[in-house]
Amino acid sequence: MNFKEKLNKGKFVVTVEITPPRGPDPLKLIEKIKELRNLVDAVNFTDNPSAKLRMCSMAACKLSLDLGLEPVLQITCRDRNRIAIQSDLLGAHALGIRNLLLMTGDHPIVGDHKEAKAVYDIDSSILIKVVKGLNEGIDINGNKLNGKTEFFFGAVVNPSAIPLMPQLKRFEQKLKMGAEFFQTQMIFDIEKFESFIDYTKMFDSIKIIAGIVIIKSRKMLNYLANKVSGVIVPDWLVDKIKRFSKDEDIEKFGFEFAVELIQKIRQKALCSGIHIMATRNIEDIKNLLSLIKN
Amino acid sequence: MIVSKRKPLKELENLIRNYESFFLVGCAECATLCGSGDDEALLSIKEWITKSGKTVTGWFTPKVGCQILGTKRQINQYKESLNQAQCILVLSCGAGAQTITELFEDKPVIPVNDTLFIGNMRRFREFEERCRACGECLLGITNICVITLCPKSMLNGPCGGYKNGKCEVNPELRCVWIVAYEILEKRKLLEKFYENLHGPKDWSKSNSPRALRIEGKD
Ligand code: SF4
Ligand code: SF4
Repeated sequence: MNFKEKLNKGKFVVTVEITPPRGPDPLKLIEKIKELRNLVDAVNFTDNPSAKLRMCSMAACKLSLDLGLEPVLQITCRDRNRIAIQSDLLGAHALGIRNLLLMTGDHPIVGDHKEAKAVYDIDSSILIKVVKGLNEGIDINGNKLNGKTEFFFGAVVNPSAIPLMPQLKRFEQKLKMGAEFFQTQMIFDIEKFESFIDYTKMFDSIKIIAGIVIIKSRKMLNYLANKVSGVIVPDWLVDKIKRFSKDEDIEKFGFEFAVELIQKIRQKALCSGIHIMATRNIEDIKNLLSLIKN
Repeated sequence: MIVSKRKPLKELENLIRNYESFFLVGCAECATLCGSGDDEALLSIKEWITKSGKTVTGWFTPKVGCQILGTKRQINQYKESLNQAQCILVLSCGAGAQTITELFEDKPVIPVNDTLFIGNMRRFREFEERCRACGECLLGITNICVITLCPKSMLNGPCGGYKNGKCEVNPELRCVWIVAYEILEKRKLLEKFYENLHGPKDWSKSNSPRALRIEGKD
C-alpha cells in the first residue's frame, strides 16, 4: 500500500519531515533515507525551510524514491512564479513523485538570503487549485496538457493559530479547492487540537496528520517559539521547560511529552496519523517510534 | 504621494567624486513634503558640497518636478549657472530626476534621493506605504491594500506565519489579513468573500514600462 492508500484505508500513518542538506553532498541524506525506510510511511522533504538555502526538495524526493521510501514533495510559492511551479510539478511527476504538500512559504526576510526577491506570484490556495487542474490535464490558464498528472496533494493548517478563525477560513478554502490531506503545524496543546478536530467533523472524510515535535533542549524550544514562522509555543510549556535544570531532564520530558500527545491522539482516534517535525537525528525518531509501539 | 529620502552621504560622496561644480534641482511637490527636496534640503546639500571645497553654481525648485514641459519652461532662466556646472544633482523622486535627464542630455544627472514608495503621510514626515501601483486595483474587495501591506501579496486570506495577529515579516505590524478579516466581518462580507477564490492576479498589468495617454472622454 502506498501513502495515499494507507490514508484512504484508515491506517494510522507516520510521516517525518527531513530538511535536505546545505550543500551538494547527498551522502548523509542517503544514510538518513535508508534508516527511515522501514520506520515511516512517507518522508516530507522541505522546500528551503525558513527561507534558508538547502538542496531542492525534488532531488531529495528522487533519491528517496530510488531507495524505496515514499517521498512527499513540499513546494512553496516563495521562489517560483506560476510557470516555474507548474514546470517543476510536471517534472516531479515524470520522475515518479506523486505526493505533494503545498504551501505559501516563509518570507525571504526570515532566512539567510534576506536580499532575495520574494516571488509570491500565487498563494497556496491558488496552488492547490493549480494542482487539481494538472490532475485534470490542464494548466493554470485552462489550456490542455499532453496528459493528466496523478498527484496526491495536501496542504498545511495551524490549529494553534492566534487568532484562529482566519486560519480556519483558509483551511476551509483549501479543502474546497481540493486538498486531499492536511499536515498540521506543531501541536503542543492537545485541547486546542481536539477542538480543532471537533470543528473539522462537519467536513466529510477529512485526513489530518498531526505535527509532533520532540523537544530536545531549551534552546530548541526558544528557537521554535521565536524564530519559526507560525509556531506558537504555549507559555505553560515554556515555564515548565524553564524549571528543569539539566539538559537530560528536558530531553526526557521532551520524549514523554511527545509520546503522551501521540497516545492521546491514538486513544481518541483524533486524526489519521502523525508527522514528526524539526528533528535532525534519526535516532530520536527511532526512539520515539519504539516508545509509542509499546 | 511618492516618498523619497536622501541617500547616505557616503554613497553621495562616491557619486560626485569626479565632479567639481554642481547645479541643484529640488521639487515643490512630494519631495518637499518629505523634506528631501525642499529649500532646507537644497541648502544642506549646498553646504555639504561647499564644505568639501567644491562649488554650487545655482539651484532651483520646479513647481512639479515630474512635469517635463513645465519644468523646462521654468528652468530656462537658470541657463547660465547650469552651463557653469559640470553636473546636476536632483533632490526629488526618480521621476523628477529623469525630467532633468531628458532636458539636459549632455550633463550628468545624479539623484540625491532614494525613491521609496507610494504612500500616505500620517503625521508630519511620517510616511506609510499604501499602494504598489499594481495596475488593477483590488481595493474594492477588502478596502485595504493586501497587495502592498501583505509582504506575500496574499489574495485569499492570511498565510500561516502570523503570531498573535502580528505579521511574520515585521512583527511590529499587525498581519494585514487579520485587519482585512475584521473589516470583512464587520461588513458581514466574510461569507461572500470566501465563496470564490481570488486571483491568480494578472501581474502583466504592472509590467514596466507603463504609459498612459488619455484621449477624449469615456
Ligand atoms: S490593489 Fe493595486 S492599485 Fe489598488 S491600492 Fe493596491 S497596489 Fe495600489
Ligand atoms: S503574516 Fe499576514 S501580512 Fe504577514 S505575510 Fe502573512 S498574511 Fe501577509
